[in-house]
Amino acid sequence: MPEFSLQQALNVALCHACEDDDRVLIFGEDVGTLGGVFRVTDGLRDKFGEHRVFDTPLAESAIMGMAVGLAVAGWRPVPEIQFDGFSYPAIDQIANQVARMHYRSRGVLNMPITLRLPSFGGIKAPEHHGESLEALFAHVPGLKVVAPATPSEGYHLLRQAIADPDPVIFLEPKSRYWHRETFDPTEPAEIPPPGTSRIARPGEHGTLVAWGAMVARCLQAAELAAEDGVELEVLDLRWLKPIDADGLARSVARTRRAVVVHEAPLSAGLGAEVSALITERCFADLRAPVQRVTGFDVPYPSGALEDEYLPSVDRILTAVQTTLEYRRG
Amino acid sequence: MAEVTFPLPDLGEGLISARVLEWLVAEGDWVERNAPLVELETTKSAVEIPSPQSGRVARLHVGEDEELAVGAPLVTFTVEDAGIVGTVPEERKPHRRVRLTLPED
Repeated sequence: MPEFSLQQALNVALCHACEDDDRVLIFGEDVGTLGGVFRVTDGLRDKFGEHRVFDTPLAESAIMGMAVGLAVAGWRPVPEIQFDGFSYPAIDQIANQVARMHYRSRGVLNMPITLRLPSFGGIKAPEHHGESLEALFAHVPGLKVVAPATPSEGYHLLRQAIADPDPVIFLEPKSRYWHRETFDPTEPAEIPPPGTSRIARPGEHGTLVAWGAMVARCLQAAELAAEDGVELEVLDLRWLKPIDADGLARSVARTRRAVVVHEAPLSAGLGAEVSALITERCFADLRAPVQRVTGFDVPYPSGALEDEYLPSVDRILTAVQTTLEYRRG
Repeated sequence: MAEVTFPLPDLGEGLISARVLEWLVAEGDWVERNAPLVELETTKSAVEIPSPQSGRVARLHVGEDEELAVGAPLVTFTVEDAGIVGTVPEERKPHRRVRLTLPED
């Protein structure tokens, strides 16, 4: 079976999407001639021509505005905004046009746009290149938000996102681009419907909830916890809007403890939403309050401080121990 | 994966060549950016050059005690396709300080 890095798996997904549907268009800064700064669109322009895979000016708002127009005209745009931090100038188009068009047109117009967004930190990049914007997008009604954690998930979720008639914000964890996995993208996998989570590791003493790159960090933590006889379940949320509240509740009702782990700052982060959902659904099952391990409430730091900022294995294990020790007073 | 070759940098005004005193890495080594790479001697001084790149050393173009001109190939690295910003994260075995204890009940 072939081996793929996440960037290669996404490249294959884009290639297959273009082959299967002539309406799929790929565009953004440097996606054509250069093949994308992370090589995700490598070779696609040569294969599908400059009318379907093309470079845009450095103007994120225009990229998203163009995607709206193309979607109205019947295309399936798959724009890329080169880095998470550069999507701020496009928020107006995303929140005011992309997210609302279906609602505003009373269902007449669909917005089958998949915005690919290299996201999150972990590669010691300069400022504006390591943001975690999932809560911002998940809060906007009309948008779906998804973040893959592995190459095979990257492939299947991207295919699913492009096939979706609604706009999907596709957050690619940059620090996992080089992570490799063996899988066969031509094999018809049983693909769960949008909005479902995945148990990345089963366990009984608590659930670690994560998405994107933090799934790998939680798997490391779970492996270390197992040395101490603590079996942690790792739930890869995958879809951040809609959130798989049923899957979340099933896991936590069984393990009775939960720690939510994300890279974004704590305050008003998506961890608060996940934590609230768990409390609403599993209050009587919980043996301890839901803990959150997150980035700090500061702008994303420079590369030198990144390891301190991102949730570490020790911070995760400390939160787990807090839930293990908790006694109702 | 890509190969990147670095030429001997201009080490100071008027210097057109340098001699390799000692390689601090060997072919096949993994080198971090800014880690010591090579010790060079010019007519003015001996200097240690840090690695301009993280990557695996594919080729050392000159041997020790050999002279080379500024701009001539010094070392070739094999690097991951890292894009234009940032570095490829290393997959390290995680270190831990915190141990866990299951509750007794």
